[in-house]
Amino acid sequence: MTTRRVKRIDELARDIPPARDLWPAIAQAIQVDLSMKAVPARRRVGWMPALGLAASVALVALGVLIGRYVGTQGTDQLANNTQQGGEAGMVKASLRDAEYRKQRDQLLVEVQARLDTMSPAEREKVGASLATLKRSIQEIEAALGRDPANALLQDLLVSSCQEEMRALTAVRDSGHQEI
Amino acid sequence: MTKPDTVVNFDVALIERARRGDSNAFERLYREHVGRVHGLCLRMTRDPDAAADCVQDAFIKAWKALPRFEARASFSTWLHRIAVNTVLERRRGPSRAEVLVEDPGEYEETTIVFDSPVEEEELEAAIESLPQGARDALVLCGVYGYEHQEAASMLGIAVGTCKAQLHRARGLLKDRLERGVR
Repeated sequence: MTTRRVKRIDELARDIPPARDLWPAIAQAIQVDLSMKAVPARRRVGWMPALGLAASVALVALGVLIGRYVGTQGTDQLANNTQQGGEAGMVKASLRDAEYRKQRDQLLVEVQARLDTMSPAEREKVGASLATLKRSIQEIEAALGRDPANALLQDLLVSSCQEEMRALTAVRDSGHQEI
Repeated sequence: MTKPDTVVNFDVALIERARRGDSNAFERLYREHVGRVHGLCLRMTRDPDAAADCVQDAFIKAWKALPRFEARASFSTWLHRIAVNTVLERRRGPSRAEVLVEDPGEYEETTIVFDSPVEEEELEAAIESLPQGARDALVLCGVYGYEHQEAASMLGIAVGTCKAQLHRARGLLKDRLERGVR
């Protein structure tokens, strides 16, 4: 703020630029929106098979995510199975998915414990960020339900899940510093 | 009365391009309007981080709602409406209904003139110290030049309440400036 003097309240500056550039985050959300708009709408009667396919694709995608995220043994085998898209690959991906979900659930418990130690304002801010990530994942999954073969959406799903895991880990591991 | 929007014509082509999915055009709209939207959110939230979050959310909502934007309307006003809504959603509390007063017809005036010049910084601090409802009305009507009807519509309150809140804000503001704000 300057020390300029004003005689009327409408002489106050209306434009106050934000301290940082907010466009990158907006652009990212727009890209997700554009990807989803590129997906052709399906008729309602096609929902059930599409949802089934979406679930399969989500499992594969999350399986790949586990492979990348956990970075433990069996990653190559999982990737091979995923690429082959065979039934055995799906089963292994499902197992990986179960492992992923277990880790995520554990992480959520730890994150909740961490959130409980935060101030209400901080908790609300972090909670809102995590909710945004969760909502993004749900939107991508919904779009995949309409177009299960969309590679861009699959990539987006994987990267969004990774982003969520990174964010959850960051919150869990945070001390009292700014997240 | 100062009009809250002065860049509508310049925006028309960009809006049309953005409507067709051109994110570069939307970025130019963002660059054009972000200062004003941020100023509004910052004054309403009193929190830089919350204001930044609201600005991001507001522009993302605006992008998604562009197909429903009517070209005859003011883009700036439309954007401000979305921003105000975003701030109100974020508050989530019952405070929107703070102090309901019957329509006081004599409180039409939205401009606030001081007896002697006031330091901008001191004035911003005094605005920040106002109760939420009074501050909202003051920011929209006094600072951003909206008529009571438009401001009331944005805030989801009655026109009479908006007038009363502005009247209340005017009194509190002068009182706080005389006392040195805090």
